[in-house]
Amino acid sequence: MGWREAAHVSDVAFTELSLQAVYAFRQGNLAPPGPPRALVARARRRVVQSKALVSGFLGLIALGAAFVARVYGATGSTVGSVPVTPPVFDVGLVVALLGIDVAFLWWAGIQVLPTLLASGVLPVLEPLPIDPATFRRTAALLYLRLFDLPALTVIVTTPLFLGVALGFRVGLAVLPGVLIAVAFSLALSLVTGRFFVRRIQGSRGGGGRAVVRWAYLVLWLLPAFATFGFLTSAPDLFVALGRVVAAGTHAPSALLWTVFPFPFAALPAIAVGGPSALGLSGPGVSLLLGALLGYTLLAAWAAVWLFESVRTIGHVPAAEVRPVTTGGYSLRPTGPVRAVLLKDLRIASRTPGYAFLILVPILDAFALGFFTYIDDPGPHLALSLGLGAVTTAALLATFFGPAFFAIEVLAYAYGRTLPLPSRANVLAKTVLVGLIYLIAGSAVLGFVAARIFAPTLFAVFILSELPAVIAAAFLEFGLLFWRARARSLPITNLYTGAWAAILVSIPGLLVAGAPLVAYSFRGLPAMALVAVIALALTAPLALGRDRS
Amino acid sequence: MDSAAAPSSSVPLTIEGLRIVYGERLAVDRLSFAVRPGEIYGLLGSNGAGKSSTIKAVVGLVTPVAGKVRVFGHDAVHESFSVKERVGYVPETSLLYEALTPREFLEFVAGVRRLDPKTASERANAFATAFRLEAEFEEPIASLSNGTRQKVLLIAALLHQPPLLVLDEPLNSLDPRSVRLMKELLTRYVAQNGRGILFSTHTMEVAAQLCHRVGILDRGVLQGEGTLPELRARVRSGDATLEEIFLRLTREDEGLSETIAALEGP
Repeated sequence: MGWREAAHVSDVAFTELSLQAVYAFRQGNLAPPGPPRALVARARRRVVQSKALVSGFLGLIALGAAFVARVYGATGSTVGSVPVTPPVFDVGLVVALLGIDVAFLWWAGIQVLPTLLASGVLPVLEPLPIDPATFRRTAALLYLRLFDLPALTVIVTTPLFLGVALGFRVGLAVLPGVLIAVAFSLALSLVTGRFFVRRIQGSRGGGGRAVVRWAYLVLWLLPAFATFGFLTSAPDLFVALGRVVAAGTHAPSALLWTVFPFPFAALPAIAVGGPSALGLSGPGVSLLLGALLGYTLLAAWAAVWLFESVRTIGHVPAAEVRPVTTGGYSLRPTGPVRAVLLKDLRIASRTPGYAFLILVPILDAFALGFFTYIDDPGPHLALSLGLGAVTTAALLATFFGPAFFAIEVLAYAYGRTLPLPSRANVLAKTVLVGLIYLIAGSAVLGFVAARIFAPTLFAVFILSELPAVIAAAFLEFGLLFWRARARSLPITNLYTGAWAAILVSIPGLLVAGAPLVAYSFRGLPAMALVAVIALALTAPLALGRDRS
Repeated sequence: MDSAAAPSSSVPLTIEGLRIVYGERLAVDRLSFAVRPGEIYGLLGSNGAGKSSTIKAVVGLVTPVAGKVRVFGHDAVHESFSVKERVGYVPETSLLYEALTPREFLEFVAGVRRLDPKTASERANAFATAFRLEAEFEEPIASLSNGTRQKVLLIAALLHQPPLLVLDEPLNSLDPRSVRLMKELLTRYVAQNGRGILFSTHTMEVAAQLCHRVGILDRGVLQGEGTLPELRARVRSGDATLEEIFLRLTREDEGLSETIAALEGP
């Protein structure tokens, strides 16, 4: 058997993966009515749609970068007192673009990996009489198929759009960097995926270990924040680059040219204006060439490692033999709503996809609060930034909230046999969204209070918005549970069923946003009034259903 | 909650004219039987005979197109919440929350069933000790063997001491010691407080040892029902084993000798 057979087997396996990703049969979901062929076709279509969503974002980023390069890159500018010449501008732009590509593909990869693991596709293939080489190829192709459309989009659109905007040579020169970026992001996804299997998914129970898991999960969020960071810090990047170029290649800052993705981002500028366009002389060029060679070798090694390692991603280390606890274990059952809340938190602590939904609004609020504190922007601006951070936390919690519904897909067939009313589920998940918002709001309050002492204003603002956040969650979860009862239950993780979560977020965002609009026109009393009305309207819809 | 509130009927389970259809496939057709108080009722059948579909209709996972399923008089479709309160269920496949540990999972189930901490802890520990599960109590379920998962499901089903246990092939993955333990446990369990057990299996020896009565399903239709002597009378063979009765009633013995001979090969 060879590559052809591996391609064939991986195609069949990917169909199974799509089916499991959308319908989660192996996790206990029941088959919705309809012929199997239709289910398979729908599953494949959904996966393609989700890939298209990710690819569309990456394509738009490339298009936006090309537009910016076309409009602003031709003349250059001065930021502060630092000159940003057109070549420097182009390097900064390509650095940001490659950084976003790596971070976003990495993030998409770690979102998908738990789905690959849960699908159980590779363990099914492993005992089949497939020779080791073909199995390695099959596993590698299956893994590549998770990224195919987004990776191809990056590889094609980045050189194409930049080539159209800045010329053929620029387009061609950016291609090596794009290829290396794709290789790194795929390898990083696998490294973090293995880390997830060993340190997070396989972690034992107990309060102390839960804290360690949450700490690991913060690390898991790095690529998402890196995407955000590259998107927002581009102006600072231009300034830093301008300074590096002005300082010359003998300055210590020239070592920046050895840090990925800077050497590859330099290639388009060098292709147009030569090394001198970036102030690079002999030693600088050598440094750059060495870095290019080093990263290319590293990417090649990463590709080989990836090819060899994908097949073992699901191997969970055997549990260690531990002494038996003689004193017995105590269960502390707490009633249906708290039981669901605790279950969701425990699942999230071993499932990065769900932990992401909890941590992003909180860490975002921490970051905004922290930067407001260290930037010392003055009382008026600090107030605006602080309220903006709370607003962001409210909207993020509302936007991400519906994805917690996907937890109910796990062990769904078993869960449905328990006497658990939908409203207990809705209430528990709404409490979770409310808690995320309150923790995030408190973080902002803590940081900003150090700069501008207006705790009452912040506390009232946070509490006035709270009913609207709860109302939005009621509306979103109420709609999702209603839909789940009316139709088969779709999995709604961010990769395979994004549409359901995104569509249901729209009315949720409108409800959560209405008091904020009221605040901007009529102040806090109007904000509180609108929020309370929203809660009064949505609570009966979500909680007034029957117990079954 | 502990045991269910006052039942509106003392009969643990009544199924009348049950009909289950998947798409165009008829899985169960006009099935009627009852599980009486103090009785272990075995549902026997080949793969695809309709055993699991029947059980899923009892626990509310499948909605029948016709017929009635009642648990202590409560309709499984229209009073599903009351039915779920009264049933302890072990599914055919051990599909659990993989990211939880057995302790966390049992705590969740106990919470949903509103058990008090003392009762929940005592019962969970007693069963965990009996099944020698203590060492795995804090390991993620994802890392456990099928047999261990099955034990966790059995404990979860027994935690609230339900008046009706619905067990879909519950002994499949268990080790011999645990099988013996389960048989003893179920026999004692059902003898108290008018409880009933619906037990599906295709292992004839287990059914013959454990069940007071059995129903034999074939392609969704009940081919025979009763105690072992009643079934022997039905096939007019006083010393027939349950396996022989099963094969006769389902006509799966037809051509069996030829098939076995063919398997011996040239």
